[in-house]
Amino acid sequence: MKRWQYDPASDLDRTLVERLRRFPRQPDMLVYGLRSLGALVIRAWLRTYHRFEIVGHENLRTNRSLVIVANHCSHLDALCLLSALPLRKLHRAFPAAASDYFFRTIPRLWIAAVIVNALPFARQMRARQSLLVCEQLLGSPGTILIIFPEGTRSPTGQIQEFKSGIGALVAGRDVAVIPCFIDGSFRAWPKGQRLPRPAKVRLIVGEPHTFRTRSADKIEISSIAMELRDAVNDLNPKNGSR
Amino acid sequence: MSPQIALRDPVFRAYLVIVPLALASGGAALGFLKLILKKEIASMWKTYRSWLVIAVIGFTVVFLGRVATIVGITLLAIFAFKEFARASGLYRDWWMTGAVYLGIVAVGVASLLSDQHGLEPGTDCCGCLAAVPVFAIALILLIPILRNRVQGELQRMSLAIVGFIYIGWMFGHLGFLANTINAYGFLCYVIFATELSDVAAFTFGKIFGRHALRSRISPNKTWEGAIGALAVSMVLPWLLRFSFPYFGGRQLILTGLIVGIGGQLGDLSVSVIKRDIGTKDMAATIPGHGGILDRIDSLIYVAPLFLHMAGYYYPLR
Repeated sequence: MKRWQYDPASDLDRTLVERLRRFPRQPDMLVYGLRSLGALVIRAWLRTYHRFEIVGHENLRTNRSLVIVANHCSHLDALCLLSALPLRKLHRAFPAAASDYFFRTIPRLWIAAVIVNALPFARQMRARQSLLVCEQLLGSPGTILIIFPEGTRSPTGQIQEFKSGIGALVAGRDVAVIPCFIDGSFRAWPKGQRLPRPAKVRLIVGEPHTFRTRSADKIEISSIAMELRDAVNDLNPKNGSR
Repeated sequence: MSPQIALRDPVFRAYLVIVPLALASGGAALGFLKLILKKEIASMWKTYRSWLVIAVIGFTVVFLGRVATIVGITLLAIFAFKEFARASGLYRDWWMTGAVYLGIVAVGVASLLSDQHGLEPGTDCCGCLAAVPVFAIALILLIPILRNRVQGELQRMSLAIVGFIYIGWMFGHLGFLANTINAYGFLCYVIFATELSDVAAFTFGKIFGRHALRSRISPNKTWEGAIGALAVSMVLPWLLRFSFPYFGGRQLILTGLIVGIGGQLGDLSVSVIKRDIGTKDMAATIPGHGGILDRIDSLIYVAPLFLHMAGYYYPLR
């Protein structure tokens, strides 16, 4: 009789905290359940407290791998973008989150890993390695990456310059890039404020872009980053283009 | 069982003294090793600290009463099975693991309900608890049929059934002890004696261990440790006789044998699984102990055997 092949989880010898910190995470029934439950609570909260509204929802209806890029001025932003996705895609959607902020203390780690399903992104030292992880994820179909290319929350609510890493990620790659604009999250919960205010929040989803034909040299990737920033900024209802 | 009864119960109160005393003497022994003999005890110290936490949680749950005890034991079984599923790779099949979770919860519910629909005392010790594995295993066997799948299903069914029988069903008998007339005595004694025999096996093995007990299954277990644990388990029922005042000599001997031999069999049977999979511990949930399953494995045989032994000689309720 041949030996059975067992296939143990790769993080078997890790403690619970280490397992949350590792990426990619192993599928876990309990974590998926808590995440789905959390998503329902967050959706209900956004709908009632922030009168959350989504414009251009149809642009997200695809089974391809997606990169969602958006402006960033509040912790609400990632929650808004996650709330625009169907529940079953939640566990394949990874908002890139600063590993030096979200993966440090245990309560933040717990929220980032279980509720948000965040991808730990090293902003300073090993950004290139983190981009590599993103590229690997995009290789499997149905992955949704949520990226805030400004790199941090804007302190003024105005959209800042995009880092060129987003260009390096999408240049020459057959992946749909969806620019989104989140309106009102700065009023609702700006950086440095403890709790959110009941201000209205709106998510405007733009049309997919693709940069398959572009090369990944230095000039191209910064021009892609600039184009994407313009695409996001054009969705801002205050700019009058909509 | 309830907090009010627990406070008035002499057996529970006695264990509230005995267990801290045992822990304190263990701590004193470790301190002696460290300070007088200058031994390196960092790993044992980690294990010891986890024992303190386990003792506090265990007492709190038993103190809170019957429902809390059964729910707590069911949760332990659920998380222990989760470790088993992660180690064996079964965790990728959510249908199978879901069926086993359902079975484990059913064991807990059967334990909870059998209090209301009380049976005639002395007729049968487990009532509807005995029917649960029939349905749980039927459900596990049904899953490949429902999903119309063949490839590797025999392995998954087998793993699910072994996991359910060991962890959900055999270990689950512990929860049923909370329904018995002598709940505090049985629960406190079985858990305390089994864990103490574990520690005794470790200690005797460390001091006298020469001959491997089962060299291919668990290289660290020795005959000396096993005999030492059995000796401690045989003496303990007489020392703690107040836990089951109506037990005669024969029952006390049987209790000692069940705890002394059954505890190590449970340990070894989980070691067989671990060795075949090729992992050292099932998980790293409890610092210094490994996984939850590594901690509760000695109760796998003790819980059902003790329950049936006690039920054979005396009415359980």
